Amino acid sequence: MSGTTAFWYASRATGIVSLLLLTAVLVLGILVNRQGRLPGLPRFAVTSLHRNISLLAVAFIAVHVLTAVLDTYVHIPILAGVIPFASSYERGWLTLGAISFDIMLAMIITSLLRGRLNRTLWKVVHLLAYLSWPVAFAHSIGSSRDLQHGWLLDLSIGCALIVAAAVLWRLAHAARQLPRAARVAAILARHTPPTGTHGPAQARERIAR
Amino acid sequence: MTTTMDEPAAGRAATPADGLPRLLPLVPGAPEDLGAHLARYGRPAYRGGPGLLIHGVKAAGLTGRGGAAFPVYRKLAIVAGARGRKVIVANGAESEPASRKDGLLLRAAPNLVLDGLQLAAEAIGASEAHLYLHPGSGPAIGRALSQRAAAGLDWLDVTMTEAPPRFLAGQESALVNRLGGGPALPTFVPPRVSERGLGGAATLVQNVETLAHLALIARYGPRWFRELGTDKEPGSMLTTVHQADGTSQVIEVEIGVPLSTLLASQPAAQALLIGGYHGTWLPMAQAASLTLDNATLNQRGAAVGAGVIAALPADRCGLVEAARVVRYLATESAGQCGPCLNGLPRMAAGLAELAGRGHRKQVRADLERWAGLVTRRGACNHPDGTARFVASALTVFAPEISVHARGHCSATNRAPFLPLPHGMPTTEDDWI
Repeated sequence: MSGTTAFWYASRATGIVSLLLLTAVLVLGILVNRQGRLPGLPRFAVTSLHRNISLLAVAFIAVHVLTAVLDTYVHIPILAGVIPFASSYERGWLTLGAISFDIMLAMIITSLLRGRLNRTLWKVVHLLAYLSWPVAFAHSIGSSRDLQHGWLLDLSIGCALIVAAAVLWRLAHAARQLPRAARVAAILARHTPPTGTHGPAQARERIAR
Repeated sequence: MTTTMDEPAAGRAATPADGLPRLLPLVPGAPEDLGAHLARYGRPAYRGGPGLLIHGVKAAGLTGRGGAAFPVYRKLAIVAGARGRKVIVANGAESEPASRKDGLLLRAAPNLVLDGLQLAAEAIGASEAHLYLHPGSGPAIGRALSQRAAAGLDWLDVTMTEAPPRFLAGQESALVNRLGGGPALPTFVPPRVSERGLGGAATLVQNVETLAHLALIARYGPRWFRELGTDKEPGSMLTTVHQADGTSQVIEVEIGVPLSTLLASQPAAQALLIGGYHGTWLPMAQAASLTLDNATLNQRGAAVGAGVIAALPADRCGLVEAARVVRYLATESAGQCGPCLNGLPRMAAGLAELAGRGHRKQVRADLERWAGLVTRRGACNHPDGTARFVASALTVFAPEISVHARGHCSATNRAPFLPLPHGMPTTEDDWI
């Protein structure tokens, strides 16, 4: 194995790992949006996990792009990582990859600046995740022979099914969401201890007054 | 102080009275009609153009009296310097259940507030003026507005809007949402309302007491204003003082007075709540040596806030009182941000457990952890204020927590003490 083929293998491997990470980021993002929890983790940890895995995914994608560029087996200009139609090799599929990566960068930049940005702007940019993932998926399947057969194909189909299920769950969950006014009461009722635990009923009565 | 003082033009101002009260009627309980108001203060001292009053306000060192104590001239300058249409709002939606000073001021001295509203409107070049208030103050203001219209005092029409009886109704962005026709719910900043507020216009929101002080600064000048108060926090302020005997009154005091002068010595109090339900508990022994100004109080983690001071009598249980208040604050969460929606009910439940007997060992640590987790993670400062209240209660009432852990309670009087409204929001209309 020569140095250049090492780059080629690294690019293919990091691409596959990126797809897995992006799938995890999307699912966690949906969980954060619906204020869901992971077993054994506090609510804010889901948010941290979403944020950290997304940064990890971008690091993997950066390596994925760089190794593909450094490899001499095919010629890909460095700008093809972010600029559509910049590569003559697999022009269509690499364009999809560039578009998807650009959207991710926009999401990360707006998230880092979230404290200084208009909330609506952040939200609109973040909703582009639902465009970014399918585009990245199409790029993966289309440009990689690896993913078109065997167990890696099964893995890709698995990712797509997981994302589809998560999106459907989000839509269903949003549809049966409590009206905002009822949410506080519901949560308060859930946390207020039932009669018979933690101190006499008298104290609770005094508090409720 | 290097700024030049902006003294009023000769002949414009009536002779200023020395001492207190500055804002409230000289005879307590006697609301001033327009005639009495003009006899006491004279006509509003218009400057004749935008911007002119701002350096006078800066020299006076006036800070916002709604709770945040933000320098008023800075807000004025930001809105005055903004492009396009400008809006001014006098905020009288005092939503803190323990505070009564804004409602009292609106009923007792409506003309002073309206003078301030017009003067601040002139200073920023506003084209639209609003007054946001609770229904109780409506009649007094309506009467004052019609008398003023007849006397030709106002150059801008004032629109009155009723605030819903919710804790967060007076929060700046909630106020702007309500005036815009929506529910009084806070939104994320940025944009600040001073940049993009009502209908996208730069909006100046000032507490009604702040505007009343501004009206006097316009008449008598910054040097007069600084005759009372401390160098950093000049002037007087309205406070709502709840004495340990269960009575309460609105008192206008000089900023920086010793807290002990505000409180009756009998019956004995065990702790002082300063700054209202987003405020801080202090043990009475410590509070007795402090003065009513942020420079002093900030060192103890407390702040003047909107001037609510409550002395908790020695015969009550501080944990029960704290649990009542936090339960109320939890029900007043707008339910928009996860940390507040989920965290406040948990803290309320935790405090309720401490207020009972024989609580689980980890509750206190849980409460401290939750207080840290919700802080600075909401669109508004509701979680932060609640966390501050909880954290200080845990410290001040720590001895009582140990008593409760052993299955006792040192309170002999079980009647609730701190004032709380009834009825939590259950539908979206409760915020309108």
